[in-house]
Order: sequence, then structure tokens, then C-alpha cells
Amino acid sequence: MTKTKKSRRDFLKAAGIAGGAAGVAAVALTSKSVTAAVPESGKSSGYRETEHVKKYYELARF
Amino acid sequence: MGRSEEDVPEGLNLPENNEISGERGIPEEDMQRASLYGLLARVLAEPMGDETLEVVRALEGQSDANELGGAFAALAAVAVKTPRGKAEDEYSSLFYGDGARGELLPYASYYLTGFLLEKPLAKLRGDMAALGIQITGITKEPEDHIAYLCEIMHGLITGAFNGPASLETQQKFFKTHMAPWVGRFFTELEGAESATLYMPVGTIGRLFMAIEAEAFELAA
Repeated sequence: MTKTKKSRRDFLKAAGIAGGAAGVAAVALTSKSVTAAVPESGKSSGYRETEHVKKYYELARF
Repeated sequence: MGRSEEDVPEGLNLPENNEISGERGIPEEDMQRASLYGLLARVLAEPMGDETLEVVRALEGQSDANELGGAFAALAAVAVKTPRGKAEDEYSSLFYGDGARGELLPYASYYLTGFLLEKPLAKLRGDMAALGIQITGITKEPEDHIAYLCEIMHGLITGAFNGPASLETQQKFFKTHMAPWVGRFFTELEGAESATLYMPVGTIGRLFMAIEAEAFELAA
């Protein structure tokens, strides 16, 4: 188990997913989601209906 | 959520224990995966606004690092030269079309059956319900839109729905709802006639989806 986890991590790092080229993307997104997929009410642990999301919903009505 | 790269010291020694219990237990590479899914969701869900364009312009890919880094560098470079209006027009040509339809239909059902709102969407809805994910119902886009699927993967990794999902759960969702068609979609996006800003988005998606498929196999 430890071995396979490590090889997966190494693979992802080598592919540029971690610690490298893609790093800046981390800042990009997590703070502002445009998702329409939300957890069932009461179970929310992360997604909030921000102004951005509200705005997106307005824009997305087509 | 709200966790910036600075929070993760380089060379951080994360426990090998895979019983992830909360956001703090999510390894760096998985947070990066979540970020990549989030980026794709954000640029594919709607035309890029000023804020999104600023974010994309600030991406710092290392063009000499690897193919993915090169695609990030390319995206940032094109975004710098793309004003908002032009980005909106391009998104419209790609996904809305004028009068008829856009150049691409970014839905699982379309890619898998040739029609919209078919069985793949029904299966997705069933699986979403099982995972405790509900749509708001405010937007009329079906859930098998590529942006929603990316957003769901993002949420599964970060634990936005019911706590972080296991790799097995992530893999099952990816394999069932994305792997069979997303490679084709991103390849078509990369080569789409209307794509300039979205050409490197297509490259990033194509590369990332291939990396995901292979990484899941390593974890299995």
C-alpha cells in the first residue's frame, strides 16, 4: 500500500501535477467556484453560495 | 478551500496513512489535482470574466518543464493578449453558437450516445445522489456538462460534499463518467476552429485527463 501510494505521488509529481508547473493553479480556483453541484443541505462542508456563484447562476440561465 | 500554495511547505512529509479525515490531511498532489479540476471547471462553465482572465494571465507555467507546464505558459500568454470581449466571443462560438449550436457540445451524453440527455446523464444523476451531491436547479445546464463533472471531481477531492472521497470513489466516478469521453472532448477543443484562448485549455485538459487515468491505475 505504502509503495503504490508513493509511486502514484511520484508519478503525479513527475507529470507536473505537484510542486511544479501547475502550482499556480492552486491559487486560481478554490476560492471561487462556479459549480452547480452542491452538497445536500445541512451536509455542507465547503461550498457556499458566494456572490460569484449567484452571478454565475444568473448568467447561466439560458 | 482557501488554502494557498504557501500553506504547503515544499518537501512536506505527509503521513503515508491514507485514511484522510479532513482537508488538512489532503496531500499536496491531490490539492493540485483539485485545483486543476477547479481551473478547468471555471474556464469551461462560462465565458471568462475579467477576474478569471486575470487569474489565467497570472498562471506561471514553466514552458521548459514538461508538456503540461508548456500548456500553462501558453494559456497565460494567450490570455494576456485576449480582451474580455474576445474571450466571450470565443466561448460563444465554441459552446453556444449563434442561432444554431456551438462548435462543441461538452456533454457526456452527447459524446457517448450522439444525443443529449440520454442514459449517461441518468446514470450520473443516480451516482450523484448516492454521493450526496445535489444540483441547485437554478441553472438549466444538465449535470453531464464537462464543467460540472470537473467541479464534482474537485469537490470529491477537497471534501466539499461529504468529506474527502477515497481514491477508490474518485476513480470510480472518473472512470464511469469522464474517462470514456473527456480525452476526445479536450482533443477536439484543442483543435477547434474557434479556439485560440481555449486551445491551451484543451491541451491542459487532454494531458491532465491522461495523467489522471494513469495515476488512478497506480493507486489501484
